[in-house]
Formats: sequence, structure tokens, C-alpha cells
Amino acid sequence: MSKDALGSIVHDVIRNRLVAITEEMRIALQSVSGSPTVTEASDFFTGLFLPDGSVASMGFQVAYQAPVCGAFIRHITDKSSHVVRDGDMFIGNDPYIGALHQNDVQMVGPIFAGDEIIAWAGVEAHETDVGGMDFASWSPKAREVFQEGMRIPCVKLIDRGELREDVLEMILAASRLPGSLGLDIRAFIATLNVARSRVTDLVARYGAPTVSGAIGRMIETSEKHMRARLRALPDGVFRASDYLEHDGHANKLYKLDVKLEKRGDHLSLDFSGSSPQAPGFINSTRSGLAGAVSGSVLPTLAWDMQWNEGALKPVEIVAPDGLVCTATFPAPVGSATVETIWVTGNAIMLALNKMLAACPNHAWRAQGVNDGAMATFNLGGVNQFGENFGLHLMDPLAGGSAAFPAKDGVAAGGPITSPMSGIADVERNEQVVPLFYLHRRLAPDTGGAGRQRGGLSAEVALTLGGIEQAQALIMTHGAETPNSQGLGGGWPGATIRQRFGRGAVAQGLAVDAPFETFGPKPGLMTMTNRDVFHVTWQGGGGYGDPLERDPDAVALDVENAAVSLEAAREIYGVVIGDDEATARLREAMRLARVGAFISDEARFCRAEPCAMLGPSLHVARDGRGLHVTTPAGFILSTGHSRWREGAHRRTMQQPPAAYGVKLHDDLEATAWHCPATGLQLTLDLHLRGTDPVHDVELDLEDLVARQNAADANQGGDQS
Amino acid sequence: MGFFIGTDVGGTFTDLWISEESIGVRVFKTPTTRDVLGGVIDGLRMAAEAFDLSFEAFCARIERFGHGTTVGLNALLTGNAAKTAVLTTRGFADTLEIGRMRRQTSGLNEIEVTDSFLRNRHPPLVPRRLIFEIDERIDANGAVIRALDEAQARGVIAGLAGAGVEAVAVCTLFSTVNPVHERRLRELIGEALPQVFISLSHEISPNVGEYARMSTTAANAALGPLAGRYLAKLEQTLTQAGMRVPVLMMTCAGGVLPTSVLDARPAYALFSGPAAGVMGSLAMGAQIGLRNVLTTDIGGTSFDVGAIVDGKPIMRADISVAGADIRVHSIDVDSIGAGGGSIARVSGGSLQVGPMSAGANPGPACYGRGGAEPTATDADLVLGVLDADHFIGGRMALDIEAARRAIEEKVAKPLGLTVIEAAWGIRKILDSRMADLLRRMTIERGYDPRDFALFANGGAGPSHAWVLAAELGLQSFVVPAAATAQSAFGAANADVSFSTERPCYVRLQARRAATAQEVERIARALEDAAAEVGANLARAGVQDAPRLERYASVRFRGQTNHLDAPLADGAFTRESVAEAIARFQTDYDTLFGRGASFAGAGHEILSVRVTGSGAMTPPPLRTQGDAPVDHGLRAVIFDDPAKPVETRIWRTIFPAPGTHFTGPCIIEYPGQSAVLPPGALGDVDAFGNLHVRLAP
Repeated sequence: MSKDALGSIVHDVIRNRLVAITEEMRIALQSVSGSPTVTEASDFFTGLFLPDGSVASMGFQVAYQAPVCGAFIRHITDKSSHVVRDGDMFIGNDPYIGALHQNDVQMVGPIFAGDEIIAWAGVEAHETDVGGMDFASWSPKAREVFQEGMRIPCVKLIDRGELREDVLEMILAASRLPGSLGLDIRAFIATLNVARSRVTDLVARYGAPTVSGAIGRMIETSEKHMRARLRALPDGVFRASDYLEHDGHANKLYKLDVKLEKRGDHLSLDFSGSSPQAPGFINSTRSGLAGAVSGSVLPTLAWDMQWNEGALKPVEIVAPDGLVCTATFPAPVGSATVETIWVTGNAIMLALNKMLAACPNHAWRAQGVNDGAMATFNLGGVNQFGENFGLHLMDPLAGGSAAFPAKDGVAAGGPITSPMSGIADVERNEQVVPLFYLHRRLAPDTGGAGRQRGGLSAEVALTLGGIEQAQALIMTHGAETPNSQGLGGGWPGATIRQRFGRGAVAQGLAVDAPFETFGPKPGLMTMTNRDVFHVTWQGGGGYGDPLERDPDAVALDVENAAVSLEAAREIYGVVIGDDEATARLREAMRLARVGAFISDEARFCRAEPCAMLGPSLHVARDGRGLHVTTPAGFILSTGHSRWREGAHRRTMQQPPAAYGVKLHDDLEATAWHCPATGLQLTLDLHLRGTDPVHDVELDLEDLVARQNAADANQGGDQS
Repeated sequence: MGFFIGTDVGGTFTDLWISEESIGVRVFKTPTTRDVLGGVIDGLRMAAEAFDLSFEAFCARIERFGHGTTVGLNALLTGNAAKTAVLTTRGFADTLEIGRMRRQTSGLNEIEVTDSFLRNRHPPLVPRRLIFEIDERIDANGAVIRALDEAQARGVIAGLAGAGVEAVAVCTLFSTVNPVHERRLRELIGEALPQVFISLSHEISPNVGEYARMSTTAANAALGPLAGRYLAKLEQTLTQAGMRVPVLMMTCAGGVLPTSVLDARPAYALFSGPAAGVMGSLAMGAQIGLRNVLTTDIGGTSFDVGAIVDGKPIMRADISVAGADIRVHSIDVDSIGAGGGSIARVSGGSLQVGPMSAGANPGPACYGRGGAEPTATDADLVLGVLDADHFIGGRMALDIEAARRAIEEKVAKPLGLTVIEAAWGIRKILDSRMADLLRRMTIERGYDPRDFALFANGGAGPSHAWVLAAELGLQSFVVPAAATAQSAFGAANADVSFSTERPCYVRLQARRAATAQEVERIARALEDAAAEVGANLARAGVQDAPRLERYASVRFRGQTNHLDAPLADGAFTRESVAEAIARFQTDYDTLFGRGASFAGAGHEILSVRVTGSGAMTPPPLRTQGDAPVDHGLRAVIFDDPAKPVETRIWRTIFPAPGTHFTGPCIIEYPGQSAVLPPGALGDVDAFGNLHVRLAP
């Protein structure tokens, strides 16, 4: 027994080494790569895999990419026609096999111990252009995947150590940017070389069975962690939806719906309620859906464990074919990552956070949605050095992060699905690409309003520098869909605003000119050095009722230009420097929400709460049974968790302008308030003309029993 | 002959290293005081007393005074620096807060980085309300797009007077290409606020990339008034007592500079301690003929590694402080959270050691200060490596039962191990993590660790070095004579050195030679940088022609990372460009392997750097030492937890040259224990360094 245990220490030593090797792979890739998406934004993936394609160790990059290389490896090993030899490396990018979209070029290579494959190394990065009808391989007009970037299901690029120059030439010939793609493919080779040489050293030292065992154990350990975490969370059904608008052809609204069901240590995510697939490039394939699940589950539930296949094993995906998130061949999927995958991830994270919020040991980290949209600004043409160029601006990552129950969201915090993303300096951009910034700054009043405020988004105004004109691709979702939803009555962050001023700049100086407000996807257009593109991204989701925000915090926000004086009054009910006026204004605003405060004693439960269902939702018991109540003790429901039945509702087609939240014609928002106090309990986004759903369904008795048991043992969920 | 003194002010202790021809080498440690200065003076008084001299007589005989301090770093970390305003280009006031999105995750360790709840630990260096936009704009080519609006600028500056601002950092876009607006702003500020400390970004951090440049300039400005006051007071105190030489401050780049040069650039000395440690190893390596050194330092919370290749430390372009990217040329000291205080815990059946640390309070369980978590120090105690009654020279008794209990409870039971096996496991995991960092510093950069000598510094370094050496395939390691005061030693042994850079962007498409104009641009940047280096070295009293080294930063077109290619001496010509590119290509292949480079991508030259240095008289290093005393045998666990080995215990203050040790043995110094496993042999050289050869 002791001998096994000592072996386990050797496993832990090897685990640390494998993590270090994954980090070395990252450094090799970032050092050699020529893509700003890789070097600055960290839009890439490096990992080590079991022979069956299970990811065992992955870098801290885009969590959406966790399943991608594994699917590619399985595609290779499942086909007997694919001969795998020592020294081989394969390249591919097919979203109908494993990629999220064609820009995600992957390479994998087997690592042999003798005649056996002991592991695979995998690397993936977003390449700006892989061919297709439009620059950057994203075409709003595409109706089939054939019109988008080239698709490589699987090709052997390195054959027993020898680079197949003919194949490389063919791949580079398809791209508008062969230089940067070529450099990145070299970077992939360097990355896989690092992995192979380091793992081979490990095998030489510890032997293949021990190294294999250690890799397998990494996955088992994370699975154990994840199952323990799930057991510590309440059983029940949690629902969330997010939306995206415009499929490239028409400004149609698409819904991504998730029904999360957690029982014991098992998590099921059912997407059946989502919209059917689109005629345009916003779709994602089933591979993309798997990416959305890993990208959202890992940062939200696995924040303190090794990210790998094990953490995802307890998660089951339920989704029929033909949805916008399970589009079938040959649907176009070019912009899947920033459209359907991103939005699916938002919906999953929101549902997961509702589950965290129903657990006293995890509610402190429940939040709304971080940076719910990544807008696109691509530019192509001939640069100031006379070279063909193409850029994919990474600045739109700098949306706001969501607030937590005890702290505001981070300004320009960006997504949490990619822990290390960054944006380039303005100077570095202007030095090498033909851009000229009029500003890059934080945008006031973009953070989702709440007791804790969502983080502000950044915004930029750009024109061209050093060239007369270029082709711009401008597109986004989230101009009419507030993707960065709040939690517990907090508001979503502001929606994206895109404006374009023709003749609005002369020799780098802004001049007076009318600006056109763009819809979500104006698409491809010619831009000149007299035009200005002005874009503000989404702020992070707020937490709790804005009328509960500390007036001093609002005053500081005003001083730091995070909140305008008007918003302080209209949203937060704060009259700066006048506490009494603030109190009066807030009371009047709460009253206005519900018309009249209900004070009938029979509608209240005066017992101490014995559990919590979510932010501002208590569970309390008296002679009449178990109730869901507001903090004031007002009874919303008895014997079940469908608390909306007892709350006051107010539906809005378009929220007041101060919130900066614009709704698509097919979308509306419903705020739910405590009938006794006017406290805002939650804010739902739903299709116009439909009722908001009951988003938390669980057994109240079970919840109370669990929470009492958790109290008794301090709620530790680590075994 | 006079005294050569090196001082290093750490968070807990102020170290003094002193050498004098007849007395030899001595080390003194005093507690660091809140005002920093007091600890330094206390140490000097202690030394004077030890040499039977009055403080004044001692000071009068100081030949050289090297000084390193973390005072600036601490001020930044605790927000106690001077109240600082930033002036920048209209439209870019939020640059520090946006922080390229990197500020929010900066400083998170490998376990914390996946937890978004932990982001944004450090606020921006300067709050938004103290950042002001100025109407002006210069483009990437240095053309003035919008002239400086002096009236608007004067209005902003007038407003600063009332805000109680002590320092102003000026960072406008592309000031490094055309500094005309920054220079004019300095004049305007100087006219209105003559008392205020001013830093201009193109002078402090002449590099393209506004976030790091603004952070560096803001940090520099915030430290200016503080560091100036502190250094002036230190110099004044010592001069009044009779010292006739200037205080020489250690910089991040490993050279020393007099306060007259450093006063305007306190950011250059932010990380003087770790840099001084590497310089100490470099100096000692030079004495004993070792030009490739891996210098390690294991303290309570962290494991620090620097690498010296062919007699030169590996450098880096920037460091991270309080969440901000600080762009100062620095010795690359990489660090992980692994040290004596690293906490061991079992999670999901896996044993993890660090990066969390018990620190000094409550500290390891064996300190008996209420710490219940088992640490690496507890493991070393249980394994027999440490002596419960002779820790830090016997100044602190350790509670071995508390160590056993913590390991039993938190590690042994959950894993089904005996206490000894669990302790062995803790050490194994810790050592393997440290070995991984050593690999990162060498193999990853294209070096073979077996070409290096391993120097073991810090309290726990000499007791773990035998494992690290074995892990890396080395046959030996060295415990330097000043292993517990390596930074102080380095501060007394570094040469005067100044380094600066100049941006000069040149973009070369594949196989295109540089034009005459481009060559001229690079040559001018080199001249300009060399002139600044020369002026500052002259001010530092370097009389003879300084040694100059010149580098060009080169990368493939489109890359973010660059390599510094050394340039040959002499006139800079078109051939020099080709040579730099060729050198880049060679270094690149070494780093990333054949096949990784892609000449078809073309190249970019970003900037040039000139480093100048002037040699100083080296201090005498010969030492006398004492004969180690035999303290009997102790059972110690080495490779096999089931087989404790009876191990000879020696005690010494400073082993005499020529002393020979045979493993297994442990040599207990006042602040460290050197471990020689079975079969190892140890010899003390003329300078007091212990050379340990492992059994083949």
C-alpha cells in the first residue's frame, strides 16, 4: 500500500513536469508566432493528450478550445487509413471534425515510447486569413461552408520528421496572408517539437507505464474535484437564455437556451430550446457547442482545479441536430466563435451562476455575464509599407467584467473564458498597421447598473494612418441584445454602439461631420483616411438592485467619470452630496416600480430564513410551510420555487436611455420587484410576447436540508 | 587598506558584507527598520564595534559603499509613494487602468490565474482623477498631427498646484520618436511648479508601447521625491561621519550608479536586491573561473533563479510591479512560490507543495507560532536535515512534534503514508518544482544545464542543492561563502554601469537590404544612446574610456517578441544590419530549434541599446575561517524514505580554506545547512566557497 502511495508522489512530480511542459509549449508558440491574435490576445491553445484524445494538461488560454485538438486526434486514430508514425505531425481546421471555425488551425503530433503512442501533443491558433470569398475568411454573405475559408480535414504535414513542402505550399497558397500563416505553422512545429522532446525525456527517466499512469491520473484528479464540487451544489433545474441578432443576411433574432439540470455529481446541459440553424455564418457546429461548454464550465466551476478532460467528464450535452449551435453540414460557420459559441457560453455561465447563487458556500462568487460580445473590426488591403496586410483588431476584447456580490466588475476586464487575454499598445498598432486612434479609453455609463456595478467597457475611435483606403469588415452581435446580463436584479451592461463618420477626420484631426449609427452587421465596406469608426463595447453585468448601491460609491463613480451625474440620479437615485434627498428619491423610485407597497401581514413570513434560493431570495418556514420570500419577508411562493408567481412584474419594450441597453424588436425585458418594498429581484430578457420562464426549479425541502448539512461541515467541497 | 562594504535592505533583515585586507570577509545582519536608514546605520555601528573602531573612524576608512534596497518597491506595493499626477495625450487617459488588459491578471500565480474572482488585485498606479489629458498628438513617424495647446496645458498644470501633487509623470504618444511636446511640458510644469519632481517618458523608458512606458514613468515619478530624500539622507549621514566615497546604488541591470545619476531615475533600482544577488554570483564565479552559473536562492516563500552565460547575466526588458508593467532593463530573475514556508496540502488525492506560503507568521508548524499547515521546513526537520536545537544558529528552537503532527494530519493520513514518507514526498514535490524552473531558465533558452555551475544561496538553498543538481544531471554545486548575504556581497562587487535604448523602427521585407537612410537612422540612434551612456558614466566618475556594448532588437516581421542581437564595435554600416540579422537568425535557431525560423517573413529592427561600464577595484575576498566542529551523528533521510542514513553533523561559522568534507554529512552554518549526500565530497576554496561533488 505504501509503495503505491509513494508511486503517487512520483505521479505528482510528473504532473508538475507536464504542466511545465505545457507552459513551455505556450512560450515556444508565442515567441515564434507572427499573429497578434496569438502573441497579444492569447487566442490559441496548447495541450498534452492521452492516446484517446482526452486532454490532460492545457495552457491558460482559450478554454473554448479544450475539446478541439482531442476531436482531431480521434479523427486520426479512428481511421485505419491514417497511418501514424513516429515523427509525424498532422494539420487540420475542419469545424465539422473538431475546429470551432476554419480560422482555428490545429496541429497534433504523436509521442512514441518504443512502438506505442504514449501521448499526443496538440496546438491550435486563430489564423487571420485562411482563404474564402472575403478577407479574414468571415463572409456575412456566405450561405455554405464551401464559400468560407479552406477546410483541411486532416493532412500529414510532417512525415517522419520531414516537412512536406508541397503540402505547406498548397496551404499557404490558399491564404491572403501567407507570411503570417507560414510563420505560425513554423511556430506549431516548434511547439510540438518542444512537447515531444520533453515528454520523451520524462519517459526515458520514469518509464512509459509510469508517465502514462501520471497523465491518466491528472484527468482522474480533476474529475474527482469536479464531482465533489457538483455534490456540494444544490440539485435542481436552472435555466438561462442569451440572444444574438443578425445572421449576415437579415437582422433576425436567435436564441441560445440552456436548461441546466444538476443531480448529485452529474450535470446535464440541454440546448433543445435554442433557435434552428441560420442561413448565415453565425452558426456553430457540434464541435463549437462542445467548445462553448468547456469554455464556460471550466472558468465558472473549475476555477481552482487543473483544467482538463476530467473536469468535463461529469457534464452531459443534450442537443438535437439542426440548431444554431448544432448546425449541420454544409451550414456556414465562419464567425462561430464570436457569435453562437460566445453567446452559448454566456447562457451556460449565467445558468451556472444561478446554481452557485443558490448555495451559501458559493454565492459569494456568483455573478452575471462578463464581456458578453466580441465585436469585429477587420481591415485588409495594402499597408503603409506597400505590403498586403490584414488585421483582426483585438481591442474589442476589452469589454467590462461582471460584478460579484461584494465587488464591482473590472473595467475592460474582458472575457473569463480566456484567462490571459491582452490587447496591444496603441503605439505598437500604429507603428506596424495603418491605423490611427483618436482615442482608446473607458466609456462612462457602460457598466451594468447594480448594487455592485459591472465593469466599464473600453471604446475606440479609429481612422486610417499612412494609407488612403482599405477594406473594413465591421460586424457584431450585442448591439440590440444585452448579452452581459446581470444577476440578482442587476442590469446588463450597455449594448454595443457602432458609429461611422464619413469625412469626420482631416489629417488626423477630428472635424465636424455627421455620424451614421450602424446596426449589428454593416459588413464589408471601403474605409478611407477621412472616415472615423467609433465603437463602444458591452460593459459587464451588474449585481443586485442599483437603488441599493452605497451612495458614496456612486459619488466616487461620478468623480472618476465612470457614471454620469444624470445616471447617478436616474438609475441609482443618488443626489450627490445630499443623503436626505437621495433617501427620498430612492423611496419614490421604489414606489413607482410597484405602484403601492403591499403591507398585508398575511402576505409575510416573519421566521428567520433557513436557506437561500438566490440573491434577495430567501427560504423561510412557518406554520403554513416553506416559503420563498424577499428580504422583507414578503412571501413570493409557498411549497415550490416558482417565486415569480408572487412578485410584481414590469415589462419593458425598451428600457430608459440612461441604461444604454438597446433591445431588438423581438426582445423585451421584464423586471421583477418585491411587492412590499419595490426591491428589484431580477431582470429577465425574453422573446417579445412570451412569458419569462421560472429559471430555478428545485425541491425547497431538499435545499433546506442540504444547506443545513453544509453549514454543519463548513461546506468544504474538496475531498 | 579600507573597507569594502555592500549592504542590502530586505523586508526582514538588512545585510552587510564587509571586506578588508587584514581582517578578511565578515557578514552582519540587523533587523530592517521602518525608516530603512536606521537598519543600515545599526549594521555599520555593529561592524565598527566588531572592528574596535569608532563609527566615525570606521566611516572614514570606507573605500567603497554599495547599496541595494527594496524601499522603492515597498513604497509602490503599499501605495506609500509620492502623490503623482500623469499628463498624457487627449483620448488616452485610461491607459493605466485598461493596462492592456494585463494589469488585472498580473501577479497571479499558476493556481490563481484560472480564478477570475481574484483578478484586479492591484489598483492602477495612478487613479483616474490624477490623470489629465493634454491637447496634442504626434504620429508613429514623429510628425506633429496636433500641436501642443499650451494654454490648455497651462490650465491643467495650474490645477495641479491645488491638488497637493508632489510629482508629475509626462507620457504622450510617440514622444520616443519626437519628444518636442514632452520637453515643452516639462518647461511649463517647471515654471508653474518648481518644487515638483518631473519624469518624462522618453527619458525614463525610451521605448514604443505606451502602457509600459507610462507605468514606468509614473512609478519613477512616484518614487522620485521619496528615493531622493532617502538617498540624500543616507549619503549625508555617512559623509558627515567621515565617509569620503559616494553611495553607489545597485540597479535592476546589475551595475551600480552614484546617487547623482540615480536621483532622476529611481525606477532603475526597483529590483536591486535580486539583481545584486546575481551579480554576487557573477563576481564570485569570475574569481573561481566559472563563467556559466545558475544562481539559486531559496528563502521562506520563493525560489529565485538567475542565469549567467559566458560571464554575463541574462537580461529582460521589463518587470511586473504592483500589477504594472515596468520597462527597465533588468537582470532576469525568475521566481516561483517555493520555499521553506511553502504549504503542503492534499487535494483530490494529489500532493501539492506551494505556491501558498505560511510566511514568517505563523510560519511552519515547527515554529510553534500557531501554524497548523505542514511546510517544506517541517518536512526538512522530520527528515533530519534540520536540527530542532540549532536552527538559525540555535537562535530559535523548533518543535519537531508539531511538525510531525501537521504532516501526519494533513498529508500522511489522507495519502496513506507514514510521516517520514509524507515528509519525503513534500521535499520531492518541492524540489521537482524548483528543478522545473531551472529547466525553464536553461533548456527553454537553448542551453544545456550541464554546462552550468549551480550556486546555492539563501537559507534553504544549500540543503536542497544536492537534489536540484541531481535532477538537472549536474555533478556538483557550490555553496558560496556569502550564501546568506549574496545580495550585499553583489552590491560591493558590481561595476559602475549605465544602459539606455533608443527606438529606431526599420522594416525589412524578405531579402531586402537596408537603405542608406535606414542605416543612418540606426547609426544616429546608436550615437545618441552612446552619448547618454557616456555622459552618465562621466558623472559617475568613470575616468577611462568605458566598455561599450551595443545591441539591436530584431524580430521577424509581425512577431511580438524580439531578440537582442549584439553589434560589432566600430562604425555602423549596411553590413552591420546584415550581420545583426544573421546573428538574430542564429540565436533564433538555437532557441526554437531548426525549422522554426522563416526568413520569408522578413525582419523588423525595433530599437538599439547601448550599455557602458567602468571597472572598479575588486575587494579582497580571501578569508580565514574556522575549523568545523564535530557534533556527532544524526539519522537523515536521503533518497529512500525507508532507509535513514547515519550522517555526520559539522558546525562552523565560516569553514577555513582547505577544509575537506565527506558525505554523508551536514554542515551547519549560522543561517543555513549544507547537505552532502552519501558519496559526495566537499572542499572549501581560498575564498570560503564550499564545492560539493556528488557521487558519480
